[in-house]
Amino acid sequence: MTAPRRVAVVGAGLAAVSTCDALRAQGYDGELVVYSGERGLPYDRPPLSKDVLLGKARRDDVLLRPEQWYDEQRVDLRDGAPVRAVRPYEGGIELGDGSVAVADRVVLATGGTPRALPVPGGDDPAVHLLRTWEDAERLRERLLPGARVAVLGAGLIGAETAAVACALGCRVTLVDPVPVPLAAVVGDDIARALHLQHTAEGIEVITAGVERVERRSAEILVHLAGYDGVVAADTVVAGIGIRPATELAEDAGVRVDNGIVVQAGQRTSHPNVLAVGDVARRDGHRVRHEHWEAAQRDGQAAALGILGRPEPDAGAPWFWSDRHGSRLEAVGTMADAERTVRRGAPDGGALTVFGLCGDRVVAAAAVDRARDVKVARRLVDRRVVVDAERLADESVDLRVLLRSGGAT
Amino acid sequence: MSINGTGIRVAAVGDIDEGEALKVPADTTGHGDAIAVFHDGGAYYALDDTCSHGQASLSEGWIEDGEVECPLHSARFCLKSGEPQCMPATLPQRTHRVDVRDGAIWLHPGKESTG
Repeated sequence: MTAPRRVAVVGAGLAAVSTCDALRAQGYDGELVVYSGERGLPYDRPPLSKDVLLGKARRDDVLLRPEQWYDEQRVDLRDGAPVRAVRPYEGGIELGDGSVAVADRVVLATGGTPRALPVPGGDDPAVHLLRTWEDAERLRERLLPGARVAVLGAGLIGAETAAVACALGCRVTLVDPVPVPLAAVVGDDIARALHLQHTAEGIEVITAGVERVERRSAEILVHLAGYDGVVAADTVVAGIGIRPATELAEDAGVRVDNGIVVQAGQRTSHPNVLAVGDVARRDGHRVRHEHWEAAQRDGQAAALGILGRPEPDAGAPWFWSDRHGSRLEAVGTMADAERTVRRGAPDGGALTVFGLCGDRVVAAAAVDRARDVKVARRLVDRRVVVDAERLADESVDLRVLLRSGGAT
Repeated sequence: MSINGTGIRVAAVGDIDEGEALKVPADTTGHGDAIAVFHDGGAYYALDDTCSHGQASLSEGWIEDGEVECPLHSARFCLKSGEPQCMPATLPQRTHRVDVRDGAIWLHPGKESTG
């Protein structure tokens, strides 16, 4: 196979920029074009539900790369250029204006679209979603002191948004049908402690589903299912996850099943098409890893795949979330563990929970214990054999376990 | 810590364990930012302490294999050159010269490390 000379990247989030970065770092010197449906330089999304909503970060503060980087790395960024179709058999992509660009590899980095509430009124434009810079700007203007804000969904985005609204002096109601959101990922102890923080900070937390959303002239009524009462709000935000933006892949005949299905090197079912980031799902993985680091790693794997080089082993997925001044970090999925071990004071807030299978750590979650997570990631990735008692013993430096533990 | 024309004495050899770092405060460095002095692989390195991406202290980072990983978002920097090794960091950390003399670790703020 001849080395590709023209690579087109569709989308401009972290996975897209990471692909470009890694391609150049690996010595690729051919054409590299990024098509962004949005205007402006690519930005980092995690701050949108944190410092951007708080008004502490401007667009320039959250750029993935400074403007000159695109020149230096010869990355041709076409912003405001949505792609209409991918035509892998014809060797190109079709742009919104009908023009066709030639590419011998297409990297789909189309990300996800926030899910609308699947209830009557759920798609009303008055219900805010949070995914893009524009979404964050629109929402920020609504988070005024004293405003009644209803946040529907208490996962990562919902919890962060509720915490920001609370910090800005809004009167916040947080609604989720699950009594302890995130428990499957971070375990019951930590999920419960985090969820209780909302109440402690003055947020009204309601465990209920949403039946319908009704817009009145001056307010929005959220009718709940199985709950006696209606939430009246000035602003409603839904954070109930994303739907992978697979339309281009489906139209091109690329295999899609809960995301664009990819193999090693981010290869899809079509030899000239790759997929990275939130839109992609590794064959054999149950879920799409919709997290920051996974997107970065996908880009690196795609670059190696394009150049026909093997990818390094992927570590366990990792993510963080900031709310109410606390930081949650998690490695792996707690539901994969047979048993858990706690480290840290149960009542002091800061706590780490390790999830074990046999004598190996397979997952960990921590609140305000960053170093434990650094060790946990390495314990998982290096398959270190650990002694559960020492893992729980605060007098034992975890790095000692990392160095002394037997790995196989 | 003591200061003279040949640098700042920040610690005695043995005070900073392998894989650990010492944060030298900004009012001691006289350099605008605190400086983190790292001990990795038997050698000492110094970088500006505040991560070029966020507001984290690299002295609290994870030190291994010639790199420090930021405690906040896991950006990694080369201890020798200060260059970022992965996103989210895009800008390098300033390096500072460190040497070991008379059983002590001396920091030279503002003098680039000679690698």
